[in-house]
Amino acid sequence: MSSTLAGILFIASLLLALALCYKPLGDYMYRVYTGTRHLAVERVLYRLVGVKPDVEQRWGVYARSVLAFSALSLLFLYALQRLQSHLFLSLGMGPVEPSLAWNTAVSFVSNTNWQAYSGESTMGHVVQTAGLAVQNFVSAAVGMAVAIALVRGFARKRSDTLGNFWVDLVRGTIRILLPISFVAALVLVAGGAIQTFADHSTWTTLTGGEQTFTPAAAASQEVIKLLGTNGGGIFNANSAHPFENPTSWTNLLEIFLLTVIAACLPRTFGRMVGDNRQGYAIVSVIAIIAIISIGVTNWSELSANGTVPQAIGQAMEGREARFGVSNSGLFATATTLTSTGAVDSFHDSYSAIGGGMLIFNMLLGEVAPGGVGAGLYGILVLAVITVFVAGLMVGRTPEYLGKKIGAREIKLASTYFLVMPVLVLVGTAVAMATSNGRAAMLNTGPHGLSEILYAYTSASNNNGSAFGGVSVNTPFYNTTLGLCMLFGRFVPIVLVLALAGSLAEQGPVPASAGTLPTYRPQFVGMLVGVTVILVALTFLPALALGPLAEGLL
Amino acid sequence: MSTQVLEAPAPKKNGPVGGGLLDPKQMIRSLPDALRKLNPMTLWRNPVMFIVEIGAVFTTVLAIVDPSVFAWAIVVWLWLTVVFANLAEAVAEGRGKAQAATLRAAKRDTTARRLTRRAPDEWEVVGAAELSQGDVVVVEAGEVIPGDGDVIEGIASVDESAITGESAPVIRESGGDRSAVTGGTKVLSDRIVVKITQKPGESFVDRMIALVEGANRQKTPNEIALNILLAALTIIFLIATATMQPLAIYSKSVNPGVPDSLALTADGVTGIVLVSLIVCLIPTTIGALLSAIGIAGMDRLVQRNVLAMSGRAVEAAGDVSTLLLDKTGTITLGNRQAAEFVPVAGITEAELAEAAQVSSLADETPEGRSIVVFAKERYGLREREIHGAEWVPFTAQTRMSGVNLGGREVRKGAATAVMKWVRDAGGHPTDDIGHIVDGVSASGGTPLVVAEKGRVLGVIHLKDVVKQGMRERFDEMRRMGIRTVMITGDNPLTAKAIADEAGVDDFLAEATPEDKLALIRKEQEGGRLVAMTGDGTNDAPALAQSDVGVAMNTGTSAAKEAGNMVDLDSNPTKLIEIVEIGKQLLITRGALTTFSIANDIAKYFAIIPAMFAAVYPGLDTLNIMRLSSPQSAILSAVIFNALVIVALIPLALRGVRYRPSSASKLLSRNLYVYGLGGIVAPFVGIKIIDLIIQFLPGMS
Amino acid sequence: MERMPSWIRQHVAALRAVLVLTVVTGVIYPAVTTGVAQAVFNDKANGSLIEKNGTVVGSALVGQSFTDTDGNPIRTYFQSRPSAAGDGYDPTSTSASNLGPEDVIDTLPVPGAEDQGRQSLLTQVCARSKAVGELEGVSGARPYCTPDGVGAVLKVFPDRAVSVNQACPATPFITAYQGLKVECAQRGEDYAAGRTVPIRGNAGQPEVPADAVTASGSGLDPHISVAYADLQAARVARERGLPVEQVKALIGEHTTGRALGFMGEPVVNVLELNLALDGS
Repeated sequence: MSSTLAGILFIASLLLALALCYKPLGDYMYRVYTGTRHLAVERVLYRLVGVKPDVEQRWGVYARSVLAFSALSLLFLYALQRLQSHLFLSLGMGPVEPSLAWNTAVSFVSNTNWQAYSGESTMGHVVQTAGLAVQNFVSAAVGMAVAIALVRGFARKRSDTLGNFWVDLVRGTIRILLPISFVAALVLVAGGAIQTFADHSTWTTLTGGEQTFTPAAAASQEVIKLLGTNGGGIFNANSAHPFENPTSWTNLLEIFLLTVIAACLPRTFGRMVGDNRQGYAIVSVIAIIAIISIGVTNWSELSANGTVPQAIGQAMEGREARFGVSNSGLFATATTLTSTGAVDSFHDSYSAIGGGMLIFNMLLGEVAPGGVGAGLYGILVLAVITVFVAGLMVGRTPEYLGKKIGAREIKLASTYFLVMPVLVLVGTAVAMATSNGRAAMLNTGPHGLSEILYAYTSASNNNGSAFGGVSVNTPFYNTTLGLCMLFGRFVPIVLVLALAGSLAEQGPVPASAGTLPTYRPQFVGMLVGVTVILVALTFLPALALGPLAEGLL
Repeated sequence: MSTQVLEAPAPKKNGPVGGGLLDPKQMIRSLPDALRKLNPMTLWRNPVMFIVEIGAVFTTVLAIVDPSVFAWAIVVWLWLTVVFANLAEAVAEGRGKAQAATLRAAKRDTTARRLTRRAPDEWEVVGAAELSQGDVVVVEAGEVIPGDGDVIEGIASVDESAITGESAPVIRESGGDRSAVTGGTKVLSDRIVVKITQKPGESFVDRMIALVEGANRQKTPNEIALNILLAALTIIFLIATATMQPLAIYSKSVNPGVPDSLALTADGVTGIVLVSLIVCLIPTTIGALLSAIGIAGMDRLVQRNVLAMSGRAVEAAGDVSTLLLDKTGTITLGNRQAAEFVPVAGITEAELAEAAQVSSLADETPEGRSIVVFAKERYGLREREIHGAEWVPFTAQTRMSGVNLGGREVRKGAATAVMKWVRDAGGHPTDDIGHIVDGVSASGGTPLVVAEKGRVLGVIHLKDVVKQGMRERFDEMRRMGIRTVMITGDNPLTAKAIADEAGVDDFLAEATPEDKLALIRKEQEGGRLVAMTGDGTNDAPALAQSDVGVAMNTGTSAAKEAGNMVDLDSNPTKLIEIVEIGKQLLITRGALTTFSIANDIAKYFAIIPAMFAAVYPGLDTLNIMRLSSPQSAILSAVIFNALVIVALIPLALRGVRYRPSSASKLLSRNLYVYGLGGIVAPFVGIKIIDLIIQFLPGMS
Repeated sequence: MERMPSWIRQHVAALRAVLVLTVVTGVIYPAVTTGVAQAVFNDKANGSLIEKNGTVVGSALVGQSFTDTDGNPIRTYFQSRPSAAGDGYDPTSTSASNLGPEDVIDTLPVPGAEDQGRQSLLTQVCARSKAVGELEGVSGARPYCTPDGVGAVLKVFPDRAVSVNQACPATPFITAYQGLKVECAQRGEDYAAGRTVPIRGNAGQPEVPADAVTASGSGLDPHISVAYADLQAARVARERGLPVEQVKALIGEHTTGRALGFMGEPVVNVLELNLALDGS
């Protein structure tokens, strides 16, 4: 079989697997978030936490709960890193330096999982499993909770509450993330991923050199790192590391894990608003954007664009032999289209257009399908903006899913839409304008600019992947990228919850022939267009001086 | 009252309703206003254009410091961009001003004869402006009514042409639904006493003047929302351009061999080019035309003789999903007409016709007249002068009318009333009368039973005549997603028959004002917006409750106060046009927003290579228009950006074409025209401009 | 708890939630997973370690260098890919090179200066290709590479061109470019102002496979392509005095095909192959 055909089959098998999961997993998540019964174990947890699970929260209370939980997670994780030397099972690692600890804590709490550190030489077992991996679970569950709250805003009629954050958090963790993680972790171990709390050990290689075994509870953390679209690797090499991603089929499993929840949430959305067609429309938008993106990246990588790839003959720099170019390209596309940020190949060595596409994927706001939860609420906000423009064009006050999009909704959606570009562009500009910022580049010329742009794009969109060359473990980058991650995560969350609150209060407007149908190909096309064009217009100057300047040499 | 035969409501009336035909003279007339609007104190309310003006000032300074043909050309076109935007607004406002001037003339110099409370018929002369609510004035033939109010005494014919444009005088009398008079109209005959109902300075004419001038125009909800979106886009493009600077400096510094150009130096992109880029990217097209669209939308209503009390109401009209239409006058011709005489067994049609005619000879109601006419046409019975007849008028108690002619007593009226009368006189109505009555009712007609003392003769079938073209109109409405509900006092059977014939979606029979109000509330609870027309005082609560309440100008003050629009023509079918204008207003905004944003793509393709191809020659690939030089590319984009505003002024004033159809079809069409067109047009436009200006000095 | 202000109550609940969920997902979950994994997949969970004569010599999943202490390839062993992990295949410092596709200009080392210069990715590729070619007795030529194994890149000025990666007194790979004389590069001189022009040259399909000249993502890639293994077969057979067919058969045995026929690429596990050679 030719490599090309094998690559296409690989992509097709992922899409098929996701399509097969769409209904069952989407429906299951629908039942998880709408069911009224609590599991026995959940009741225990609610009692331990001290919350009444059946009390509904207004949007403000919901938002404060999210913020309080995230703030304390941040403090806890920061403390854990700073106190590492006092913890057992720490493999002799010392306390993490303050600016790095802050950056890492923000990074994991915000579901970014940007790695300014090298896992194998910085984090011991306890910080990894009881710190970082815990945030892998809960930051994902927070994202899903916020998305569900927004969907409730659309689905509810004249209601002033959005559900209970603690219930959504616990259910997302216990009923969705944990069971899938447990099964998938064992599958990964079967493939060769390690799962041990042992200590370092050293062996002498065949030629007399020394190699150190770097132990980790890798499989259990790897799985939730992907499933929760987190991306912070146990090791510096992330999912390229053979202990995290040992074979070509675990590679497919990992790509599947990092896309599956976000790809199926539109079904949950459709069920909750009582119209599955709405879910299909959203998932179609996701599929169209994703397939185009996969196509562009794969084309650019397989044709080995650029001087060095031409010299090599095949874009193998930064790729693992067992994955090859095409499968690596799919992983890279998937990880940037979601907010995962795990990598099985190194994006810095991608061709200008291929790497530019990865940046563009993130600049889309990571909506195709995006982070777990974050992707859904991101695309719904874009849908609100699209509906607004389209709705005016059909001569009615725009409405989406029976809710009017008025001044308040547009104010919140527009502000949401503003946050990310402001963070990315201002961050990049500040870094490019200061010698501290420019000093971090590994490559020069437009590629160096792309590295910086990539870093701020990744942080502000809570992706976490990197054009690895840039040396970001400096106080300047730890601080500024940390701020981008923090604002890039929590400002949109508050805006989304406010939007949800505003929508929930409204009574529904019944659909008529005069209502813009939001489930037809026409709307799907328009939403794709608005998403791509708005992002292209916003970032074209920056992209022109980075990837385009490099790619169109 | 004459039976006015209405044509099927035409989408557009004859007369001034042309929309925004752009008259070059009007443009020139509005130019001084446009220049006055350059004042930053007024311009800041339009943030998009305000930014353009700041940019224009900034580039002017730069051009003075470091003059070049290119710099001055940009400066001129940036200023023109602002002027063009102001011009759009000024032209839109200008069209209202002429109308306002006429109205002002009506207001000027009016004095009032105010009755004092000291003695009856004692009055004092005061200026119209001094009148306050509750004052009572006397107006006689030849005088101008000094303020809005209700006639409390007398009857007069009034010339209302000053506000309605209709020259035929109308009757205004105390009591009933024709008691309202408007300040500024003229009494032609007789004398009336009017109780002023307006507050000083808030008369109908005052409000009209304010309205047509667009003076204190309030932004409508959708306009506010759109403004927020445009502000967000403006901020994004400002940031995108501003943050480009460090990137540009870096790019220049890593290519030290490239000489400075007009667009890019070691200090980054030059000020003039940066401003040009910002102006081209921010949504200037829609920003420039937004208020003109709003003013023109109101103006279109005014030209159809509808006064909206708020822009919000016009916008709500576009959202209406339920239309309550009074049957009489809207769906059917004003009055029912005799269509058939159905005799009972043993009576001939001619006998019945004769009796019916006799009973109706003195009946001046339209129905009565139609019976006389029908008898004459069908049975050749001529109208007769009958002497010694005693006319029995219709009363609410008897519910019948007729004539006593010597010993002969003839009555016609509601079935139950007439039958009772027959029985009371000792007669026995035959069984078949019941069937006939039911049959007529079932077919949507109104049965009038005719009887002579002691015996029933038969039934007059009065029929509603549905106006031509109504069914098509309602089909259109349905395609637009609007449900039509017919309101009638008829019984359900009759109502259903007419509803079926007219093609409305639903009907409310035997409707009382309370029923109407309840229906509106029910619809609104389901999230639907309701529009209705009304004229009577008892319509007021429903008018107030409805989202779009159109009061007839012939109606009572209470109705006019309660509604949020007044139709000066008092034409109930106007509601349909109002809905269309509301939709057109929103569509125009949406379409031009889409167009404006879509334009940016081409501008990027012009300006990005112009700025950066010097340092990264590969970026010249983006110069797909093959513009002749960087200067010419940037200037062409700026010129296009300015000219497109002028080119779209007529569209903004006229509104985009609207044809009732489903939302999907509308969107497809508008996306093709304004989305795709918005992407393609600037590529063509900028290229053409470039072909022309490349020969200017300083362009290469 | 009821008497506390609501914002404090919220934070207390949040703190408890963090702790409770830490126990569930940070203690119970990994502990249970580890327990099951250790019981069911003991070998794999502990790193798929490989023993030779009873001592651990590596992991089947972690690549090794087969070079001597000076970094020269040991000719009896199949060679792994270049590695950017530490000094090469260092599991405590996994990394890729992170060099971009247009990283073509070296910073030439200036004798005596502190800055030791930097090889561009292109020069690294060219140098590796040349070295592998020499080792395996095939041509190491590649597009954009000079015969002396650096990137073939010119900086073009109005009056001259400089082959920037070829330090003087090297002979430039071409003598003239568009009528301009091509000079060798003076160490320490700043050529930034010139226009960068990589020269493709007329090298055809390279004989040295791509994975032989590139660093992997992890720096621990345990595999090489079948093509690279085949290229090395003759040399290993010669050095070990084995028939080539036998070596090729061993390659076949240690080749992992695409999973299910379409996932990934066929690869050869270098450590296992070399162990098999040592054992045969």
